Amino acid sequence: MANRVQIRTSSSALIAMIADEDTITGFLLAGVGNVDLRRKTNYLIVDSKTTVKQIEDAFKEFTTREDIGIVLISQYVANMIRFLVDSYNKPIPAILEIPSKDHPYDPAHDSVLSRVKYLFSTESVASGRR
Amino acid sequence: MERQESSENGRESNEGISVKEENILNFLDSVDGYLILMDSLSSTLRQGWLELASARHSMGASRINSTLFDHKLHPASTTLQVNEQSAGPDRELPHFTLCKWASSNNPEKYFEEAKFGEDELLKKSNSLRHRDISHNSGNVCFPTFRFDCLGKMTRDQGFDLEALGSISMRVLKPVTNPLEMVVEISNMRASLLCAYDQVQKDMETATK
Repeated sequence: MANRVQIRTSSSALIAMIADEDTITGFLLAGVGNVDLRRKTNYLIVDSKTTVKQIEDAFKEFTTREDIGIVLISQYVANMIRFLVDSYNKPIPAILEIPSKDHPYDPAHDSVLSRVKYLFSTESVASGRR
Repeated sequence: MERQESSENGRESNEGISVKEENILNFLDSVDGYLILMDSLSSTLRQGWLELASARHSMGASRINSTLFDHKLHPASTTLQVNEQSAGPDRELPHFTLCKWASSNNPEKYFEEAKFGEDELLKKSNSLRHRDISHNSGNVCFPTFRFDCLGKMTRDQGFDLEALGSISMRVLKPVTNPLEMVVEISNMRASLLCAYDQVQKDMETATK
């Protein structure tokens, strides 16, 4: 009971996005875009001029905000901050790595699947048999 | 007496093995469902990018780009409801539900569209090998309190579109299906991680 993870419930959580312009345009048209009183948005458009620091800061901000339930991040962007994404282990917000136009989805790089692939490795099978 | 005790121990060990096997099957099903959903999302997004490129071609790149995004105060019209879902003793999962605006001024048609959208999603869920739809379905929730001010909210939804020029909803179809898939994948992700934790716990118990 002491180690139980608290699930943060919400009735109107946002979907945050860190992706290329076309992906974000499409999702904004679906109505997920949010601009608050401080003109802070729930998305970051990544292009050739976006620095890794900006992406890191956006990821840290979106994963610590209490009003965000899901963070969508293009997988090629996630690869730029792989250490941050892989070390994230909270239940909320959920981090989903999505494909982009020029970079198809690769299950081998997905942080969730990377975490669980240990169960399929020969080391885990061998240790279970000892 | 000894035979009775040994048969009881055998039954207990059989039950223990079957629970562990069930946990492994749940985990494998979750991984399978996750991969299938990611594949579906990839296809749907690809279709969306194609439509966006087509709209850009017909209307001009200057009318569909990020420089036209408005940064005035604007709440999201599509949000999430996050609840707790019990996954066993001392274990809870987050459960996501999509809450989105109507796409029609007619209230009856609104609910029909919602029902149609939910039925379509359930049909797609049926195609997954993992059949536990009640556990994995991406439920679509339509908050009724917003329904009363539908006229106002319709204008607010158009606010984003005004920023992109006079683009009608028919020219650029909103990517609503991927949103439902995103919610479904998020729920599947939570199940996958829960199943993984359980299998890992079983392995640690077995090695002790």
